[in-house]
Amino acid sequence: MSAILSSFAVSTIKDTIVALSTPPGRSGIGVVRLSGTRALEISQLLVRDEVFALEPNHATLKKLYDPATGKVLDHALLTYFKSPHSFTGEDVVEFSCHGSPVLLRYLIDIILSFDSRLAGPGEFTLRALRNGRLNLSQAEAIRDLINAQTKAAAQQATRQLGGELSALLQPIKDGLLNTIVPLESSLEFVEDDLPEVSIKEISATLFSLINRIEEIASTFQTGRLLREGLKATLVGRPNVGKSSVFNKLIASDRAIITDIPGTTRDSLSEMLTIEGVAILLTDTAGLRVSADVIENLGVERTKRAIADADLIILVIDGSQPLMPEDIDIFKDISSGPHLIAVNKNDLEGFRLDALALKENKYNEARAIVSISAKSGAGFDDLRSAIMKPFNVWDASDNGLFITNARHFDLLQRTQLALRSSADLLEARASEELVLVGLYDALRFLGEITGETTTDDILSQIFATFCIGK
Amino acid sequence: MSFDEAFDVIVIGAGHAGCEAAAAAARLGVQTALVTLNLDLIGQMSCNPAIGGIAKGHLVREIDALGGIMGRIIDRTGIQFRLLNRSRGPAVQSPRAQADRALYRTEMRRTLEVIPNLHLRQGLVVDLIVKDSRIYGVELQDTRRLRAKAVVVATGTFLNGLIHIGRRTHSAGRAGEPASIELAESLKRLGFPVGRLKTGTPPRLDGRTIDWNVFEPQPADERPVHFSFATDKIEQPQITCFIGYTTGAVHNAIRANIHESPLYSGKIKGIGPRYCPSIEDKVIKFADKNRHQLFLEPEGHNTNEVYLNGFSTSLPPELQQELVRMIPGLERANIIRPGYAIEYDYVDPRELTPYLETVHIKDLFHAGQINGTTGYEEAGCQGLIAGINAALSVQGRERLRLNREESYIGVLIDDLIRQGVDEPYRIFTSRAEFRLALRHDNADARLSPYGQKIGLVNDSDWERFNQRRDKLVRLRSILESTRLRKSDAAYLSVSHALAQDLGDSITLIQLANRPNARPDLIKQLLPAEIQTETNMADLESVLADSLYSGYINAQRATFDRLHNHDSLRIPFNFSFREISGLSHEMIERLERVCPKTFGQARSIPGLTPAALSTLLVHLTLQQRTA
Repeated sequence: MSAILSSFAVSTIKDTIVALSTPPGRSGIGVVRLSGTRALEISQLLVRDEVFALEPNHATLKKLYDPATGKVLDHALLTYFKSPHSFTGEDVVEFSCHGSPVLLRYLIDIILSFDSRLAGPGEFTLRALRNGRLNLSQAEAIRDLINAQTKAAAQQATRQLGGELSALLQPIKDGLLNTIVPLESSLEFVEDDLPEVSIKEISATLFSLINRIEEIASTFQTGRLLREGLKATLVGRPNVGKSSVFNKLIASDRAIITDIPGTTRDSLSEMLTIEGVAILLTDTAGLRVSADVIENLGVERTKRAIADADLIILVIDGSQPLMPEDIDIFKDISSGPHLIAVNKNDLEGFRLDALALKENKYNEARAIVSISAKSGAGFDDLRSAIMKPFNVWDASDNGLFITNARHFDLLQRTQLALRSSADLLEARASEELVLVGLYDALRFLGEITGETTTDDILSQIFATFCIGK
Repeated sequence: MSFDEAFDVIVIGAGHAGCEAAAAAARLGVQTALVTLNLDLIGQMSCNPAIGGIAKGHLVREIDALGGIMGRIIDRTGIQFRLLNRSRGPAVQSPRAQADRALYRTEMRRTLEVIPNLHLRQGLVVDLIVKDSRIYGVELQDTRRLRAKAVVVATGTFLNGLIHIGRRTHSAGRAGEPASIELAESLKRLGFPVGRLKTGTPPRLDGRTIDWNVFEPQPADERPVHFSFATDKIEQPQITCFIGYTTGAVHNAIRANIHESPLYSGKIKGIGPRYCPSIEDKVIKFADKNRHQLFLEPEGHNTNEVYLNGFSTSLPPELQQELVRMIPGLERANIIRPGYAIEYDYVDPRELTPYLETVHIKDLFHAGQINGTTGYEEAGCQGLIAGINAALSVQGRERLRLNREESYIGVLIDDLIRQGVDEPYRIFTSRAEFRLALRHDNADARLSPYGQKIGLVNDSDWERFNQRRDKLVRLRSILESTRLRKSDAAYLSVSHALAQDLGDSITLIQLANRPNARPDLIKQLLPAEIQTETNMADLESVLADSLYSGYINAQRATFDRLHNHDSLRIPFNFSFREISGLSHEMIERLERVCPKTFGQARSIPGLTPAALSTLLVHLTLQQRTA
């Protein structure tokens, strides 16, 4: 519960809340949403109908009046959702107005004057959760869906909302139940004529479950990138064309460049998308790795830039021989995920000298890309090289990823619990001890997909075995 | 209102729930009447003549630890004691004993008759006298009216009981006894939601007609583990039971005649227990099993009657006889009493508080099968709690409520009142979240202090409890401080026996937690003077504490995290109506109990998770703004 409380704004319970549900700014339509016991009453005050009957789940065109002047404010489409059959579970009225920010703000002011209050962030969802209209996993999915910055992230959230994650985990729960049932039966029905429990079989099942969970949990690496975006940082000595590469990557993506909230236009980071994944590209211009500047800017800063990034792109000037600085920088970055872009392949004398950097860890030729920021040659290769390590679309399970840190954490705990049970089984510990970890695992999975009760387990036992001394 | 007699507490029914209820109430010092149809059948075991079993044995020891009587009576009348799951961990071991059915009954009646303030009355209760949502007494069929400040209804299978054998049915509470029909109607009139359940029992055989040599003997334990903490020694001579099997031919004959079974002809509407199925059910539902296990259990020292455990049936008697004779070893066997199925009314236990008092009628308590449970032990523990609380209520004292974290009794009551039942409810160890902590051998440590506080555990029992507790503490410190060293004579043989490297030295408690280190081995390593004064059971208790302590601590930590809102206070005069999103039903349930903390609200039966989270959000907000 505390997780729910902290992830949503809290408010008093019984009042009616209002908020603009479409983004601020001019638009074709602006939707104002009103939820709570007074939603219908307040709507009536705005519409001024003597006989006011909104049919639930139907859109009705109405004139909205300004109570101060008595003049018509707007023609709006009103949709009424009757409690409990609404998103929040309360009475909800949505006003689809013309999308003028001035008009919308004025309308909300009027509604606020009718004994309602502005909804806090996430408060509609909180009410839905509280009224049992959503479960926690679905609420999380809605939050992710709204926050999704890219198509890929939105897709993941939608799939989670649709229960695909639960479906993915269901076979694991079933497998777990299949290990619990024989162990539990052998404890509870010792006088019954039950088949011998095969420790070997149970152990094998446990290990296959552990592997499967590991597999699913490992998608978090990519899943997190889908949700939060990928941080890629350009490094290289001066004048190798980093900024040109930066501009070229951005420019070729111009249509979907967005500002990063909180950063100014003159910052060195820009957002672009590749294959639907948000990439926060940072140019480390000004970061010079030369003997005299190191004193000023510090090795620390380089290291931090490297540590923060999910991917480092080392830019090298292919028209010149490899410099000692190139090698120094490479040494700094070679322990993390990185790729090498050899620039200026349009110039004469261009050589893929960078191949000399190929060391044991970095021996895949495709991680070295030959490009020209000037001509644009090789940029398709560069983009796919950026995405390559993240394997976004060719993962198993049809590309469903763990995108939520809470889910990832629960999967890790599930796996640990199963491992402890497997160890106990190996040591031939008594069943009640082996079962501790199995029940823990079931509970952790239940926190993602919904609870499994003792009754479910007993039912399974009675369906599997003939019990009854 | 005029009455023929007046009591503080009246208990209706003298089965396993009723006897515990009456004994507890009387021993707490209130005038108690135990009203039963037939005084000669007090404490009758209607079905299997056995007490205990996995989790059920735990219940009996908990009853004993609180000051109940079931444990003492089975210890005096048990003719075959066996500790189940002996090869497994101590938390899932449980004592079971087969009783001499007649002796058990006699001993129960004798025990009740010597309790001061306890009055036996024979009669059939036909009505509850209720006014303004308060109980005032009961009316008997012979027109006597008995006054009471509190009433415990413990009527077992008697409410609207209907026996099925083959195609015939007749009204009965149990074979040979009338059903309780007016009382069932009275409960319905009072507005209690009533459902229908079913149970069954196997035929009893004449032991002289059994070919015993065909069966596999199942002897009693050499070291019987008793139920009562007060028992020193089992005095009854121990008998052997026997195991046999049905055959494919028996199954075929049952299948061929399945239309004769009221279970399959659609006559029986009530739901039976899945863990105690009839032989018809076993054969039909598990068609691929080519044999089913049977237990032949002699019913006592002074009878030839043998209980054919595992062969519960409601097929016609002549067919039962035919089927029994198809079983190897029973070719000549005669049935003394045929098996039968019985349907009976139960009252939805969600109508109860954790004290087993009905929510709607003050000082009316329900205990045992009326609440949808099955089993003597399940009945007994409810009777005990209901009897205790009836007396405490009469005395105006604070009532007793057990939590699921500390007892199987708490688990059982909590399950009943929160979830209700859709089949006869039986206890299982897997129902307890804290099963590692709820051992049969530590029931005294868990519950005797409650028993002492309310006054049910008397001074001499309390003295014994303290002695045992102190002894265990001493033993534990000895086990922690005694080391087995490489230089010791025993070191080599122990290390060899366990096939493990034990290092330079190891404490006995560490040694005990090594795989295969059995308690008897540890005992041999104790200093000689300690060894003689230490009994095995005490040693096993101390070792079990140590074995599980790590797990239990981890589970407690999880539990505390999950329930860290439980201490959240609900302000005095808090208005639940002010919370939007709570249905009328939820508000009503909350207002009835008026919980003082969120933890108390959480334990209110029938409160939905959505309602609880709404309440929690509201309380958290209040706390933040306060």
